[in-house]
Amino acid sequence: MRATVGHALNQANRPVTGIRQQPGTPEDELAHRFRAGDEQALREAYDRYGRAVLHLATSTLVNRSDAEDATQATFVAAWLGRETFDPAKGSLVGWLLGIGRRKVIDRLRSVARDNRVVETVRQLPDPVPSGSDPDTVVDRLVVADELARLPDEQRRMLELAFFDDLTHQQIATVTGVPLGTVKSHIRRGMASLKRRWEVDGAAPGARSAGLSGAR
Amino acid sequence: MQHLEHDRLVFLALGESDVDTADRTHLDACPHCRAELASLRHVAGLGADSQRLRDLPDPPEHVWQGIMSEITAAKELPRLTADRQRPDPVVPVGSGSPPVARGSRRGRWSRLATTAVTAVAAATVGVVGTAAVLREAPPAEQTVVASAPLAAYGSTPPAARGDARVLGTGELHLHVANLPAVPGYYEVWLINPQSMEMFSVGVLGGGSDVLLPLPPNVDLERYSVIDVSAEQFDNDTAHSGDSLLRGSLTG
Repeated sequence: MRATVGHALNQANRPVTGIRQQPGTPEDELAHRFRAGDEQALREAYDRYGRAVLHLATSTLVNRSDAEDATQATFVAAWLGRETFDPAKGSLVGWLLGIGRRKVIDRLRSVARDNRVVETVRQLPDPVPSGSDPDTVVDRLVVADELARLPDEQRRMLELAFFDDLTHQQIATVTGVPLGTVKSHIRRGMASLKRRWEVDGAAPGARSAGLSGAR
Repeated sequence: MQHLEHDRLVFLALGESDVDTADRTHLDACPHCRAELASLRHVAGLGADSQRLRDLPDPPEHVWQGIMSEITAAKELPRLTADRQRPDPVVPVGSGSPPVARGSRRGRWSRLATTAVTAVAAATVGVVGTAAVLREAPPAEQTVVASAPLAAYGSTPPAARGDARVLGTGELHLHVANLPAVPGYYEVWLINPQSMEMFSVGVLGGGSDVLLPLPPNVDLERYSVIDVSAEQFDNDTAHSGDSLLRGSLTG
């Protein structure tokens, strides 16, 4: 089963085998149609990336209905502001997550304000909601999306290293792929993940290291 | 100075080998390799974390419906100004039969909007129930059969907001806050987002709450958008095109 973060067209044809699209092409084409105002592209973008945006919202916001509101607001804002999306500065999903990140931060601030008001009344010690940090969640989603887009062999080797904690030598033994080839797949895969994180990631380290995203 | 081999940095980032003395000596002296290793380590950590992100759950259907309602309302809005130039596209209050969609401006969006509206209506017995109830003798209970949060529209200061509730009695209860001061008055409209047909429900006084009777045969499935506009005392019964608040009714 391959990783499918924000990547499957929909549930029905979520890829479960090694069948792979041309790298980048369907995403680029979708981004182009989205920006041009093709209504069908909005639905496709939602089918592909709605899960990732909802995940960002549910893992950062405590209240489920706040998270769904933030998801809705993200896609509405993205569609109404689609002309500000610049494909040269990052991917469509990276841009959507950037908007989603702002929406959840706005909501977190508003919750924090409300909590401060409540706190002054109740004298509660800890008003901070216990959700994850939005930047980390965005970074994780962006890297997961890039991992899903890697050529099959690169992705397979990296998954064995990341998820199964195998060494290069063990991966070569398990897969029967020569050690030199394993090294080269992992090196290239890591370089792609890093580049993507630098372009589309939210954390300060990512942004200062890479291009400034559309946010 | 010779940098560390990139494969070596990847090994270190993946935790496959430990930093030895030679690595340490170089890393201490080389900001470039140090930064590269830090980035690769961070990315490797994110990659390892990404295992939990397989098979994320789909958003519930009402999120998509909400997106469509908002987008439809926003998409149609610029036409308000254009409509103003036309000879009275608005049916004034109390003119008998409610406006009927002419269907001449239907595009792909209308089709999508119809799907969304139908789905919302099907999912919310409240709205369908309202229409049916209102056609017959309205019950006296103060049940809420549909409601809409109202948000600042266009250049309206974002603090402006409101809530609209359609009661089981066939009345519209409107609560508003932080409306900007206007030289004229505020007027409340029901808009069909598919056709942009609209009719006035009444005016809003200086208070923050108002109860307005709706036409007994109003079709809230079609006229699903509540709009509060700024109007001038100009004897023009049409919408001024200056919307202050807007929201979509759901059951």
